[in-house]
Amino acid sequence: MAKERKDFTIEPGEAVGTVAAQSIGEPGTQMVLRSFHAAGLTSVITTKGLPRVMEIVDARKKPKAPVMIVRLGKGIEKKYEKVRELWRKIEEVRVKNVLEDFDEDLKAGTMVLRLSKEKLGFYELTGRTIASRLAKSKELGIDQQDDVTIKIKYKGKTIDATRKMFVNVISSTVVGVKGILKASIQSEDDGSYYIATSGSNMEEVMKIEGVDKDRIYCNDIFEVAKVYGIEAARLAIANELESVLEEEALTVSFKHLSLVADAMTHTGEIRSIGRHGVAGEKSSVFARAAYEETVKHFTNASVFGEKDMLKGVSENILIGKQIKLGTGVVKLAVRKEDLKKIKAKEESK
Amino acid sequence: MQAEAIDYIQFTTISPELIRKMSVAKLIVPDTYNEDGYPIDGGLVDQRLGVIDPGLKCKTCGARAKTCPGHFGHIELVRPVIHSEFAKTIYLLLQSTCHQCHGLLLTEGQVKDLLPVIKSYVEKEDEEGAAQAPQPQATDITIGATTEEGDRETVIKKLKSIKKCPHCQAVQRKIKLERPTSFYMDGNRMKPDEIRDWLTKISDNDLRLLGIDPTATRPESFILTALLVPPVNVRPSITLESGERSEDDLTHKLVDIMRINQRLEQDIDAGAPQIIIDDLWELLQYHVTSYFNNETPGVPVARHRSTRPLKTLAQRLKGKEGRLRYNLSGKRVNFSARTVISSDASLTINQVGIAKKIAENLTVPFYVTLWNVDAAKEMLARTEYPQVINIISKEGLRKRVTEVNRDELIKTVAPGYVLERQLINGDIALFNRQPTLHRVSIMAHIIKVLPGRTMRLHVSAAFPYNADYDGDEMNLHVPQSLEAQAEARYLMQPRDQILSPRDGKPVMFTEEDEILGAYFLTQDDAFYNKEEACMMLAAVNVNELPKPNKQGLYSGKSLFSMILPEGIDYEGKSHSGKVIIKDGELVEGEIDGTAIGIEGAHLILKIFNEYGSEETEKFILNVTKLSLLAVEKQGLTVSIRDYHTSETVNKERERIIELVEQKAKGLAQKYKEGKLEGLPGFTKKETLEMLVMAQLEEARTLAVDVLRKHFGVGNSAFLMARLKTRGNVVNAVQISLFLGQQSVRAQRPSRGYYRRVLPYFKRNDKNPEAKGFVRSCFLDGLELTDFYMHAMGSRDSSMNKSLITAVSGYLQRRLINAMQDFYIDRNLSVKDASGALIQTIYGGNGIDPMYELVEGKE
Repeated sequence: MAKERKDFTIEPGEAVGTVAAQSIGEPGTQMVLRSFHAAGLTSVITTKGLPRVMEIVDARKKPKAPVMIVRLGKGIEKKYEKVRELWRKIEEVRVKNVLEDFDEDLKAGTMVLRLSKEKLGFYELTGRTIASRLAKSKELGIDQQDDVTIKIKYKGKTIDATRKMFVNVISSTVVGVKGILKASIQSEDDGSYYIATSGSNMEEVMKIEGVDKDRIYCNDIFEVAKVYGIEAARLAIANELESVLEEEALTVSFKHLSLVADAMTHTGEIRSIGRHGVAGEKSSVFARAAYEETVKHFTNASVFGEKDMLKGVSENILIGKQIKLGTGVVKLAVRKEDLKKIKAKEESK
Repeated sequence: MQAEAIDYIQFTTISPELIRKMSVAKLIVPDTYNEDGYPIDGGLVDQRLGVIDPGLKCKTCGARAKTCPGHFGHIELVRPVIHSEFAKTIYLLLQSTCHQCHGLLLTEGQVKDLLPVIKSYVEKEDEEGAAQAPQPQATDITIGATTEEGDRETVIKKLKSIKKCPHCQAVQRKIKLERPTSFYMDGNRMKPDEIRDWLTKISDNDLRLLGIDPTATRPESFILTALLVPPVNVRPSITLESGERSEDDLTHKLVDIMRINQRLEQDIDAGAPQIIIDDLWELLQYHVTSYFNNETPGVPVARHRSTRPLKTLAQRLKGKEGRLRYNLSGKRVNFSARTVISSDASLTINQVGIAKKIAENLTVPFYVTLWNVDAAKEMLARTEYPQVINIISKEGLRKRVTEVNRDELIKTVAPGYVLERQLINGDIALFNRQPTLHRVSIMAHIIKVLPGRTMRLHVSAAFPYNADYDGDEMNLHVPQSLEAQAEARYLMQPRDQILSPRDGKPVMFTEEDEILGAYFLTQDDAFYNKEEACMMLAAVNVNELPKPNKQGLYSGKSLFSMILPEGIDYEGKSHSGKVIIKDGELVEGEIDGTAIGIEGAHLILKIFNEYGSEETEKFILNVTKLSLLAVEKQGLTVSIRDYHTSETVNKERERIIELVEQKAKGLAQKYKEGKLEGLPGFTKKETLEMLVMAQLEEARTLAVDVLRKHFGVGNSAFLMARLKTRGNVVNAVQISLFLGQQSVRAQRPSRGYYRRVLPYFKRNDKNPEAKGFVRSCFLDGLELTDFYMHAMGSRDSSMNKSLITAVSGYLQRRLINAMQDFYIDRNLSVKDASGALIQTIYGGNGIDPMYELVEGKE
């Protein structure tokens, strides 16, 4: 005599926002506070736990640990050699990464770079490429003495300027995409390879031939928004939240996460949850004042003669009225004629 | 009581004229009471402002202390003073209007484009933590061209840099605001009266263009010439035990203001030098500023005699203890109770047991109608426990029922009266435990009056509240209106909340002893004789026996089957294999946490889905009772013997420790030789630490496997870990093998003494023990150093815990504040309070996440 439940539809009036907020906030106490975590020890390092949730919800412009997963075109993703070629194009190699040591003479404006053969070999670079790369800057006098020694001449107006320039030289990019601190080749179960990076630069990486533009992943929500638009950012927010929670073995329905994402993005731009974003841009003065920065909201409201239409939850609690959620959204209507009849009846009693 | 219909509330500033109109008294004496303790006329507690002493009558409305609403008075300020909270706005107005013709510095066409930008500028300006906002790129936009969001600051900069008035061609002066209230024009101090004149001359039209509604706010009211004085009941003075009067902070501040105001007036009349007058004027400005906000940046804090900072107007409203959050968003309630909770396995999850004392004190209204007058009279006549406490007449007068008036009241009671009777079994009440983190932290339970002084809760209903019985207290609220009671009954009962709205998993299930009992009961070799079977089944209200086996014994499985809903089919896993229930019979397998406990509670989920909430409620109750009886029969002992290890295990232990230590040393060696690659974003040293840490932590995992292999079925501690009733294998490892790596801030302990953590080690000791790898176990006792290491780890984790509760509490508050207005519209779209569409169909399919698992997602 099993009875099947029939209606799984959400009830109109349901306070889904509060439920979503609670569903994310309640497991918050079970999350870790430790922020960094090496996923799989040798690959990329991401922020995790509560700090990551805060990062997403606060809509921080740059995540603490930006990460990309670059997948490759169908033809090459299983060919290690080609993947390696691409990897070389992606990981940013700066001069300092291949440097053994250097001498500088700021007064004379000369610097001698001694490159490490071993490191050059690792990145499959030669001193020549580096020299030619540096030669692109016309201010520098480049003199390549042998394969691992490069002499640089630059006379700045002041010693400070010279020093600055030399620092720039050392940290200048030789090959790869700017912002990609480290890239590593990882393989999947089906034998295909992908490249995981620390640091992100979606726009540039997408330009590299062989990269599958449709399957590129990045945990920087603003970058996703910039490259793919707000709808992608919405999904990115929800997905990021889901993966953080998943890692902590906390299950939260995707609906709640997507509602947070929609709350953050439904205006067309990414707004943070909190006083500078969603909560701070509510239409109700009371709702904002009851949240944070009470005095500021009241004074500004009086300058602009703002009206509070008393529609939200906070305002109605404040003035002691029933809130317009759940059973509170339902109103009872009586036809005018009926009302007259009822009144007449009562009077006759 | 609902507030009268309010359409909207508009915020405006109050002009001096309006202040004078509102005022019932011009206050002139900077004092409160005279020697006789009588309010001074024209003083700050003038009786025209209302009264707080019970004997006196208000001179304005004639009412007494309790009924007089209070009336405003005012102080005439001899010299105008700037309202510090509006200084920013004044600054903007001065900057954007001409000092000569007071017209807006823009042509009308330009203004229209800028209007929204300017409005949001004023709002954004006060933001703290401006570091977040990215500097907008200084693009060369010309004013008048369409502006984009983010160019705000640039536009304002441009506005400030307009050199010439487009109307009168006057060259603009540089205006400077020195916080909080000093304005300078080209380096010359502007007096508030000058500013007031300027602001007065800005036309209504220009104000509209700036987004200011002149009917609500004329900017000259930002400069105060009269100060509104709140009624005395806003700032009541309190009489101390010694008979001494102590005034409210606001009164103190107002006294200060009036005193300076008076001195200023005297000095002006006496023709004092300008410097003295200016000084006093400045002082008046200070007092008015701190009267409004005693935390204004750049202003010294006004203090009480006891050096306590004064709590002035802004402080009354602000923050967690302020009016808005403390008194308006959260309110104190009647009809509530709070005590310690304890567990009771004989209640259903839907019930709450309350002490008789509580039941006697809490009341619920009984509405007298034509049809229940007799019942009402009977009830009224009662002189012991379920009796009527109060009676409310048709006019709404509440009267206490006493021995003296009872007979008379019985005569007068008629339809329309309301009786307030004591709580009885079957009433409904909301039960709550703080922190109220999710909606199942408040549920509606059916009252059951019990002896004792605690509130009783079914063991399985504690989980959603996150409650235990080590002294937890919980709150009980009795809904009064019939609507509220109905809603509680239909929507909030625990049996309807068995599924979590978070992920659709059950939040009510059996734990600990009950799971153990269910396991004992359903073991393949569990048999009970007739007497035992009868006793157990009687406890769960089953009046027939299952089929006995050949020996006349009843299998535990068959007993368990008796409490299963009729005809249920279930297939699931357990720690030892499969659990199969066919047509309401447990055919195979042992029930454990997977079926009825925290590990998914699949059986409970299934019953809830197929048989509904009432059947589930019954099942949870029955399974609890039956399991407890079963566990009582068998019993389970955990003793130190369970943790004793054999020689082989000890050897394994040595091997594991040796292994991880070798590996860790190997890593250190690699590092020393410079062969270790740094992980991105970390130095090589940090990388080494991370790798070593991971390696040493690995020891515990290895040890778990060893224990799993060597501890047999007879080991009670292990049995509990396996059934997921209590404890886990790591606990056992720490008791009988070793504690493993301790960590502080997710790293090995590293601080303490110079190059060593504890003075018992040599400096730069590379051994893992020197950095918190604990080889000893609880059973043998910890080495001295190990004890310290363990304590360090413990402290770190307790600090971490308290930190994370604070952080996640704030996260939750923000999330709720941002999303609390969202609701499902009739067409299943999600909207917020202003009607903005958030989602077109909730969650993409309009399905309640509570029933997501039902949908067959699993």
